Amino acid sequence: MIQSLLDGILVGSILSLGAIGLTMAMHMLRFANFAHAELLSIGAYAALVFDGLFSALFPPLAAAIAPLSLTWALSLAIIISMAVTAGSAILVDRFVFARVRAIGGELSMVFASFGVALVLRNLISLIFGLKTQLYSQDIVFAVVISADPLLLVKPDQVFALVAALVIMLILHLVLSRTTLGYSLRAVAENPTLAQVSGIRLSRMIALIWIIGGGLAAVAGVFYGLTNQISPVIGRDLVLPIFAATIVGGIGSIYGAVLGGFLVGIASNLALVILPSGYSPAVPFLIILAVLLIRPNGLFGEARE
Amino acid sequence: MNGNSMKRAGFAAGLAAGLMTLGNAAMAQDCTTKIGAVLPTSVDWGRPIAETAQYVVDQVNEVGGVAGCQIEMVLRDSQVDPKVGVDAAKALVDLDGVKVLLGAVSSGVSMPILTSVTVPAGVMQMSCCSSSSAFTTLSEEGKTDGLWFRTFATSGVQAATGAMVAKEQGITSIAIMYKNDDWGQDIGRIIAEDFAALGITVTGSVALNDGAPSYRAEVTEALRGQPEALYLALYPKEGIAAVREWISLGGTQKMIVANALKSDEFRDSVGLQFLGDTLGTDTASPRVASADAFVTQYTDRFGGAPNGPGLANSYDATMIALLAMEAAGADATGDEIAAAIPRVTDPNGTPITADGAGFAAAVDVLKAGGTVQYQGATGNVRFDANGDVSAPAVIWGFTEDGIEEKRYVSLEEVDAFIASMN
Repeated sequence: MIQSLLDGILVGSILSLGAIGLTMAMHMLRFANFAHAELLSIGAYAALVFDGLFSALFPPLAAAIAPLSLTWALSLAIIISMAVTAGSAILVDRFVFARVRAIGGELSMVFASFGVALVLRNLISLIFGLKTQLYSQDIVFAVVISADPLLLVKPDQVFALVAALVIMLILHLVLSRTTLGYSLRAVAENPTLAQVSGIRLSRMIALIWIIGGGLAAVAGVFYGLTNQISPVIGRDLVLPIFAATIVGGIGSIYGAVLGGFLVGIASNLALVILPSGYSPAVPFLIILAVLLIRPNGLFGEARE
Repeated sequence: MNGNSMKRAGFAAGLAAGLMTLGNAAMAQDCTTKIGAVLPTSVDWGRPIAETAQYVVDQVNEVGGVAGCQIEMVLRDSQVDPKVGVDAAKALVDLDGVKVLLGAVSSGVSMPILTSVTVPAGVMQMSCCSSSSAFTTLSEEGKTDGLWFRTFATSGVQAATGAMVAKEQGITSIAIMYKNDDWGQDIGRIIAEDFAALGITVTGSVALNDGAPSYRAEVTEALRGQPEALYLALYPKEGIAAVREWISLGGTQKMIVANALKSDEFRDSVGLQFLGDTLGTDTASPRVASADAFVTQYTDRFGGAPNGPGLANSYDATMIALLAMEAAGADATGDEIAAAIPRVTDPNGTPITADGAGFAAAVDVLKAGGTVQYQGATGNVRFDANGDVSAPAVIWGFTEDGIEEKRYVSLEEVDAFIASMN
């Protein structure tokens, strides 16, 4: 029971990172971006490429940072991967979403995002192949926290949790304490009024993609680190991330964080009660339950 | 060619010639018996299965046909579609009046044909390639009327071999992780019963869904009973994720895996250093002379080795069906033909080879009231009470260079072990 709770929090931190970007895009650009989870794949693979590159160029960097399986090379690669992913997100917006936004409605955007998701996923399969890949072949053993009840934690997962929390804190500070944050929130509230006040909409949109893409890249790498990398990461994670976003309430960053943890914990706890075959349904049961009680999500506000 | 086989060939030829005249005499009465076949001829791997069946029919017709009549195989395409397959089977049974139906390949097509066409009409159905254990269950419930046979081993063989490995390793408690699909559920359920029969405690049986973001919760669940060993019926993708998680959480490295994990990808991603104690199972082609003989004659006839799926099984399915028709005599009903199957697959019967000469020899023995043991392309075929066959198995392990066979378990050993569990 406690183990499931702990596992849920560890898995949840990855979902939270993905959900933050999604909720921002959904709130500010006003469409459900089904391609968002593909940004996690891009991030994971970009890090894989640069991790390999750095390890080859500077062999000392290939050493793992004990007790993690994370290497110095991979840590550097994460930063580059955030930039690559953010760049990809901006490119996709410029070539697809911006054009559809100019002429189509919200529904067209949703369909466009489906298309983008398929294209990205298949491009990745084409380049890297369908097989499963790993950052490190080593298996880092879990640490026993307590013997009775048996509690096991993997160092990588704790690192991912702590790093995710730190990133969320930084994001919180940026949004609540800086002019940039105020601008972003103004755009979210009312794009027209924000523009009248002298905020450049195109820059704000780019900023949303940079933040969303960067966080997605981190989430993708952490997922790859604690699980494995395959071209279908996006497909596997898109629904849990959407669940986290909707549960938290669209537009609420804190809601997305909480939603991620909730979905993670619920899927893990579900196994205690339900046969394992039914566990994928659990996030959706939570969505239904939350929406019945709070139609706008836990932290969402009604929007006219 | 040595003298002995020369003599045998001469004997067979003489016999064949003798029967030919008999056949020709029958032909003069314009007598043709139809059998039906519903096979997926529109897919590239289905065509050779049908061609193999037709090849058997040709061989048998050459030596005079069945019960003095030439056999005409009416072949219809199933398109791997249950609806199309059922329509095809209905047409064969109602319009062509066949008493024997060969097919289908997919379990999903064979099943509706069996339940809605052949059993209600009392027609014997013989499939080359359906592996689902749902047929075994159906038969145990008495719903096949003894009309169902297949020459393809079920997941039961694979499960039994896994259980055999566990027993030999002296394992007393084991957890099972299986893929949540037809195949995984099948094998997961059967092996749990096998373990129970052997007195091995199953500490947990966990289904793994396709494309779950993480298998942490499932692995934790499987770890709960702290089993001595782990049984895996998974595909490489979720297998890699689950096993890495399992090992990192301190799970035992004593693993028994089904054939789907016989992959280099799995070995490389998990790491050989953790797989030293892992043993795998798989079904194998029989290593007997009759199987080699089939490969030779197939290669002569089609200009290539029988490498496609189900070819040896298709050969045996057709040959046994025709032998049973011969044993049941002219104008026999489907029930009578099905009831004659044990007479042609009798372990104590006169051994006959899998070719035209073998069929001709069988005709003589059966006419004299004897029984024959058909030594086929998949070995000495023998059906159990549910129309299922067994198959030899191999036990393998991972090594530096890939995957290495550790042991070949012959059909007899597999059968004896399965019998010992019941």
